[in-house]
Amino acid sequence: MTNQITLTIDGKQVRTQPGKTVLQAAVDAGIYIPYLCYYPGMKPFGACRMCVIEVEGRRGTPASCTEPAANGMVVRTTTQPVQDLRRGVLELLLSEHPHGCLTCHRVELCGPQDICLRHVSVNDRCVICPKNERCELKDTVRLVGIDMDTPLSYNYRDLQVETRDPFYDRDYNLCIVCARCVRACEEVRGDNAITIIERSGTVLVGTSFGTSLLESGCEFCGACIDACPTGALVEREFKWEKAVSTVNTVCTLCPVGCQVKVEVDKRDRVIRTIGEVDAAANLGQLCFKGKFGLDFVNHRSRLKTPLIRRDGQLQEATWEEALEVVAQRLQAYRGRAFAALAGPAVTNEDAYLLQKFTRAVMGSNNVDMASNTRPEAVAPLGEILGYAAATGSIWDVERAQAILVVNSNTTEEHNVAAVPIKRAVKAGARLVVIDPREVELTRNAHLWLRPRPGAEGALLGGILRVIADESLGDEQFLAQHCDNIDGYRSSLAGFDLAQVEAITGVPQDQVRQAARVLAGARPASILYALDNIPTPQREPLVKALVDLALVTGNLGKVGGGLYPLLRGANEQGARDVGCMHQEQGLGVSEVFAAVGRGEVKAMLLMGYHHGLVNGEVEGALAALAGLDFLVVQDTFLTELTERADVVLPAASFAERHGTMTNQERRVQRLRPAKAFPGEARPDWWIIAQVAHRMGGSGFAYPDASAVFDEIAQAVPQYVGMSYARLDTVNGLQWPCPTAEHLGTPVLYAQGFPGGKVHLSRLSGMDHQPVAVGASRDFPLLWAPGRVLHQPDRDVQVVKGKGLNLLRRTEYLQAHPQDARTLGVAEGDAVELVTASGERHSFTVEVRDTLPQGLVSTTALFGELATELQASRDPLKMPKVQGLAVTPVRVERVG
Amino acid sequence: MSTQDIATLRQRTQGALEAHRKAARTVTVLSCLLAAHDALGYLPQEAIEEVARSTDHTINDVWGVASFYTNFRFTSPGEHTVEVCWGPTCHLVGAMNVLQAVQEALGLQGEGETADGRISLKYNTCLGACSQAPVIRSDEHVLGGMTPARALALLASLRHKQT
Repeated sequence: MTNQITLTIDGKQVRTQPGKTVLQAAVDAGIYIPYLCYYPGMKPFGACRMCVIEVEGRRGTPASCTEPAANGMVVRTTTQPVQDLRRGVLELLLSEHPHGCLTCHRVELCGPQDICLRHVSVNDRCVICPKNERCELKDTVRLVGIDMDTPLSYNYRDLQVETRDPFYDRDYNLCIVCARCVRACEEVRGDNAITIIERSGTVLVGTSFGTSLLESGCEFCGACIDACPTGALVEREFKWEKAVSTVNTVCTLCPVGCQVKVEVDKRDRVIRTIGEVDAAANLGQLCFKGKFGLDFVNHRSRLKTPLIRRDGQLQEATWEEALEVVAQRLQAYRGRAFAALAGPAVTNEDAYLLQKFTRAVMGSNNVDMASNTRPEAVAPLGEILGYAAATGSIWDVERAQAILVVNSNTTEEHNVAAVPIKRAVKAGARLVVIDPREVELTRNAHLWLRPRPGAEGALLGGILRVIADESLGDEQFLAQHCDNIDGYRSSLAGFDLAQVEAITGVPQDQVRQAARVLAGARPASILYALDNIPTPQREPLVKALVDLALVTGNLGKVGGGLYPLLRGANEQGARDVGCMHQEQGLGVSEVFAAVGRGEVKAMLLMGYHHGLVNGEVEGALAALAGLDFLVVQDTFLTELTERADVVLPAASFAERHGTMTNQERRVQRLRPAKAFPGEARPDWWIIAQVAHRMGGSGFAYPDASAVFDEIAQAVPQYVGMSYARLDTVNGLQWPCPTAEHLGTPVLYAQGFPGGKVHLSRLSGMDHQPVAVGASRDFPLLWAPGRVLHQPDRDVQVVKGKGLNLLRRTEYLQAHPQDARTLGVAEGDAVELVTASGERHSFTVEVRDTLPQGLVSTTALFGELATELQASRDPLKMPKVQGLAVTPVRVERVG
Repeated sequence: MSTQDIATLRQRTQGALEAHRKAARTVTVLSCLLAAHDALGYLPQEAIEEVARSTDHTINDVWGVASFYTNFRFTSPGEHTVEVCWGPTCHLVGAMNVLQAVQEALGLQGEGETADGRISLKYNTCLGACSQAPVIRSDEHVLGGMTPARALALLASLRHKQT
């Protein structure tokens, strides 16, 4: 590598890059310097003074975590004065930290599993600390070699342990104020939900007025827990449990594909998940789902044996019996009468074999991903650019100068993907958000454009028009890479700004500003999820977004690009391996109607499908009753197994080998952390068994790795991949054409595979004002929002049953014109009635900042967190509802 | 506190912050907190929230700054403030007797507000009037030559005084 510098640490020559600190250089070179406040990925802080060193030719003892490494530097880390200093620092820390566990004379005799009840004074024996034997402070004390004659007396702060907030406990009696948690929250996550309070002798970590995390802007991602070196912050579930093994695998709750270290205890339960710092997809970060929602694999209601419906009841059966029934019955439905759907979290191996089985054995093309209800989000990228996938990497967004987010509640549905956005904004990037709902990113946005739902396309047309009119585009890029420029430009004629304003309800001024921001700063990243976009408008909208990326010259560059935010965790992988709807077959959007018409008579559903296809296909669940034969492979009894003829127990992500492809095209390895519950087996194994029994050839795989090798042969982008390689390099981004190729973080860096790219004419985006209020009964559209923090609203935290609860007045914002029509004024009590009959009470706020015809509400994320904590449903995390815009009626109360 | 009172506190903070923004050359979290403290006499939760909103920080950022400074107070002060000096000079000429009498009369153990919220007691280490020691400050007035009896008379007059 260029620009290397060489320094000497403890007589050893160490090479490092400029910008690294002495501590980082030493750790990289395998030289350990004790530290407590430093944490990988955070800025130097220099608070704990544990990492002091001597530098030749320098006075004093600088902290190595703040000392930049310099060429020719001679550093000593273990001299007597330095060691003495560290011991002194530790003794001061221990004057406020319980340390019976460190000074006990039996410390070497007690095994790591034992808890000591007798040998130290009762108030601070080992068992008061849940981090027993996982404590960095304890390890540091042992390493530094503090004298074990430190008196047991210390200043115990005697603070109440905070146990009333969701998911984790905070015991500030154990806090050493290293501020890692505060920095994790501020620097890494951009939330600032906790802070350092007071000063000198009484300094501590806390929240404003010491109240709950529920109102402080906490997103319950657990980053602070992972960073805490002591037992001050711990996960509440399995708080006291000890791990016997740790396995690196992938969280399957969303398409970000975070790598997690899964800790398993001696009873084979998943007790903790910790973000993997060395994973490029998440850099150690997780979210509330991945941190606190993966222990569902332990649940006692997991399916453990195959079940066959006999006399209307599901009854336990052996694999032999169940597979035989499935193979026999399916014989009758070969051809178009059979359909298969893969759940959102199946692996590439599962998805590949499911489509192979469906096409080769069943002779049907009716195979799809159950979450593939918005194929238009990705398909146009393939047609226009060459690859149907995101063009860049998730964390490259941090290097963007401008960011556009369209209709996505990223912080909840693709949480870790929102972290680089927030970090970029903190570093000075400009964020434009288009969304009728108020979500967390709108709170961070410089410009929040709030169109009428359904008018997003027209708004984008307006933005493209301004870019063309003001010549803000990247002409050089256009000339080099694009054709149909004239065709594209002529299609902009319909997007007169005055008309755009009339259609969208967004002032012209803001449209112009947005265009200038997005075209004015490069690189710019575009992220979109198509939430609440009506089906016919999705494809034109995505094509317009591709146009935007092209005219601003933002493809093929680090920090620029197009990022479709997918629905299912492995939707990208399923698409890659062919488990996705194609022209000849029926996809998830059509298949249930075909069941209703009697064309499809047998189905196989693989993997968990919450609410069957995101609740977006109406009548899907009811249609299942019309099937002659239904096989469900699942991990729990659900509303689907209720309707199944045969239920086959599937292994969860934590029990199996496999690969998943995340939404930045990164193929990552799943590894088993625990044993299968009962007779449960991986989905690919089940499907291979069924295929084998039905006479299918080419289904004899010794293991998942063999399935993947076949995928690597069949899928051109995967050719250079194998389990062995994925293990060595910890994931690869396709295309990876050879066994030496290091993967492709940014697509189109060397131009486009098809030569010139065809700019799309804008079409299908209604030039007519969107008809708000399709029905007379429900004339308004309701945009429900959710944010982390609303300092302008009064919130009360009350103590519920063991948990903190939020109490506050909820407001419904309405346009002055709508308020007049409804006959309501500021402060009036109203009820909002949805088409499904739900009623919600609100107080009216009249605002002209939202478009006419839209009413909007904003909830606090803390409420959702409390609900999730209180829920006993093992599948609560996948069931978190998105924020859907729905038609409503507003009624005056009193 | 009633909703009305909360709304008033928010409005008063907003007013103070607006005036501060117009007058000040640089606006920081600290300067906003000072402006709010000057206007309200203390920093209630609503003031922290308003400062957070106007400076685009979270309430915790603002609280981190506010709680660092011991001269900010977070509970409402009494209608009148009595400061008893216990600096070396006052101490030598009997300040502790005065302080004891005041504390007994107010029903307080240390610093704080009386139960009825009418009088705040604070300690002071020098009011710069050592020649008149022992000294008490009653709101803006410094009163010298204090004795327990005179102090009690002062408290009685404060109790009857309208704000």
